Amino acid sequence: MSAPSSVERRRPWEEKNTVVAGVLAFLIPGLGHFYQGRMFKGLIYFVCILGAYFGGMRLGEGAVVYQSPMGGNFKKVSLTFLGQSGVGLPSLIALYQMKRAEAPANRDLYELNEPISAPFQGRLIASGPAKEEGAGELVGQIELKTSRDGSLPETRGIFKGTKDGEPIELELSGGFKLDRPISGGFRRGVEAHVVHSPDQHPNEAWHIRGSIPRRFVDAFNAPPDPALVQDLHGRLGKFYDLAIAFTLIAGFLNVLAIWDAIEGPAYGWGDEPATAPSTPERNDQPAAAAVVAPSKAPQ
Amino acid sequence: MPNLLALADVTVTWYLLPLAAVISLVYSASRFELPEKILSRAARLFAQIVGTMAAVFAVLWYFSLGM
Repeated sequence: MSAPSSVERRRPWEEKNTVVAGVLAFLIPGLGHFYQGRMFKGLIYFVCILGAYFGGMRLGEGAVVYQSPMGGNFKKVSLTFLGQSGVGLPSLIALYQMKRAEAPANRDLYELNEPISAPFQGRLIASGPAKEEGAGELVGQIELKTSRDGSLPETRGIFKGTKDGEPIELELSGGFKLDRPISGGFRRGVEAHVVHSPDQHPNEAWHIRGSIPRRFVDAFNAPPDPALVQDLHGRLGKFYDLAIAFTLIAGFLNVLAIWDAIEGPAYGWGDEPATAPSTPERNDQPAAAAVVAPSKAPQ
Repeated sequence: MPNLLALADVTVTWYLLPLAAVISLVYSASRFELPEKILSRAARLFAQIVGTMAAVFAVLWYFSLGM
């Protein structure tokens, strides 16, 4: 029993509503093909396009796909975001995050409504006589709480962890600042002063500066602070550009997937005999490939 | 320091391999319907992309000798 020719074969991309398939393919890469029952191709689009997209996001530490607040002026849509939005829903969330980020309530915090306890990474920084000696990398847990007992609210807390691998515990008070909750990047900047101990030099002051995790729903595709973008360019260098390239290419590739969901494969099934330049004989007998792909021959 | 930078360049180059694989697979899937044709065409396209990149890399490496 021979394989069915291209003419006899089912054309799954025509059996379902092509508009629905196209919209689904745009929203989630591969979804339109799953809807049409084209599981193998759907899987390729789903894994490859979303893999490139989220791989780029991870490479760029989550601050890669975003749209900066436009103030209602759609001429300010970034071309990079336009390209990335080809991936569909995962990118379009950036427009919702942009709205959340530009809300007046989303601002840096200088006092806390609720106590926080979070893993901290950062540095112990000194000023004054002990500038170089005691500074170092901090890793551990930070606990902070704002008390409103006095005339002014004061944020106090404690850091427990290690400094350059050695155990350390620091009492914190004042100088508190926590980055705004909704912003790009999966880390949220925090800083606070270290309490001055009686045996320290009067001019010696210490503070900690670092970051705690930001909630995924607040970080995903939210517009990052310019300082963070600058920091990422400085730390990651070419890798940050590569991260943007990954997400952009994912967006462009999904355009091919959407086209395939609506119109079918550009060259046909792939097993048609190669068509020679048209001859009188061939004109009398239309080739199977010509039915599937009238204008293009498979390569 | 120059060695570190050279190492970073190599690492960036490795990231282009999965990118080339993704582009090859998606492009081939958009051209054909049969899984075996998609895979064979994607393998050929991947080899072409990597081969071209390697050739360009070799030419640039040759001209940068002694710099």
